[in-house]
Amino acid sequence: MSRKRKISLSEEELVLALRNREKIAIEALYDMYSASLFGVISRIIIDTATAEDLLQETFVKIWHSFSGYSTEKGRLFTWMVNIARNLAIDKLRSKDFKNQNKNQELENNVTFIDEQRNTVYKPELLGIKELVETLKPEQKLILDLVYFKGYTHVEAADELGIPLGTIKTRLRMAIQQLRKHFN
Amino acid sequence: MEDIKAYIESGILELYVLGDVSPDEKLQVEELALKHPVIKAELDEIERSMQLYAEYNAVEPATHLRDRVLNSLLTNFGDDSTFDKEPDVQTAKVVSMAPPKSYNFYKYAFAACLALLLASVAVMVSMYNKLQDSNNTIAALQSDKQHFANTVSLKEGELEVLQDASFKFLKLQATAKAPTGSQITVAWSPAKKKVWIDMKSLKMPENDKEHQYQLWALVAGKPVDLGVFDANADTADMKEMKSIASADAFAVTLEPKGGSPTPTMDEMMVIGKF
Repeated sequence: MSRKRKISLSEEELVLALRNREKIAIEALYDMYSASLFGVISRIIIDTATAEDLLQETFVKIWHSFSGYSTEKGRLFTWMVNIARNLAIDKLRSKDFKNQNKNQELENNVTFIDEQRNTVYKPELLGIKELVETLKPEQKLILDLVYFKGYTHVEAADELGIPLGTIKTRLRMAIQQLRKHFN
Repeated sequence: MEDIKAYIESGILELYVLGDVSPDEKLQVEELALKHPVIKAELDEIERSMQLYAEYNAVEPATHLRDRVLNSLLTNFGDDSTFDKEPDVQTAKVVSMAPPKSYNFYKYAFAACLALLLASVAVMVSMYNKLQDSNNTIAALQSDKQHFANTVSLKEGELEVLQDASFKFLKLQATAKAPTGSQITVAWSPAKKKVWIDMKSLKMPENDKEHQYQLWALVAGKPVDLGVFDANADTADMKEMKSIASADAFAVTLEPKGGSPTPTMDEMMVIGKF
């Protein structure tokens, strides 16, 4: 099956098309962001089928609540990734999902989460080796806990036994490193 | 500006981008971003970095998922275009339907016809039976009428014999052969040459089926056949025999059935002479 050429629009064009409820906006949105969003979701929810359901749910929610987004509040992706993360975290913490997957309490088992992460990370595929080198391990740990695991910085501080200020600083430093790296 | 720099360095903007702030903090960040381009620029940088970080960590979803997600959105897409409109409240036009009368009419008409047909057949059968009875009665009545007519005719004949002065009555008496008391009365009119026997007066043993009584007239010593008769209990009429103009005596003999040309003298039962 030959893969369709992916549709790509500038963020302004995409936002306008979404606001006008144009059909092409849906395809562009999926082609441009599905992989990034699925990367986040599939790190929070390991089970592929559930992660796929959540990706679908995310796009449905984006589409339906798009009127709630405004460009003044920030980038489109930031708004979307928060929807994806919140859905995934809600799912992870939902009672039926815990029972179903016999998941352990998120807050009480960082080691378990790290093990999960290791099974998902595919550095050779994602080409983040040099990126990992730019981030200090303690920076990356906190960034990933918050970004990919749905921890609040307060929970991360509790979990790691590190003062809240230090958590915030390390988080900021990590992102500073990323900025440097991408520039 | 020092405040802004400290605010940026506090790390709250990063937490804002990561969605890890309280609603109050969120509003504060958004207000300050509108007021201070520095904060806006800083936020934008953080967002861009996180987006790139996400892209670096991107996982391509399965190919089939694209169609699934797009289809679910397009399904909703169709819904959305109708959601905005006030749903048309279409009040169905209610027309009270008349019950299918014609159908029932024909049904009942057919049933009525059938009932009439059956009733007619029953009446016809009954009428036919009555007609048969009537015909039988008529036939019986006609038969009776004929019988009475015959009887009347016969009685008139008898009456004529009895009233006619020319008739002579002769009582034939039993011979030695016949049982004692056997007799029969013969009426004879020489003028009219007629001979009758009165069965009422007959007192002789009943003849069997092989034999009959035969009446003879003796004319100048010669027997002349006057016919045969049966002596039965149910015969009580007068019976006309063969004609004879003159006779000296009458006699009855028992002969084989149908009579004999000459009398068997041994079987003479009764005899009477003028």
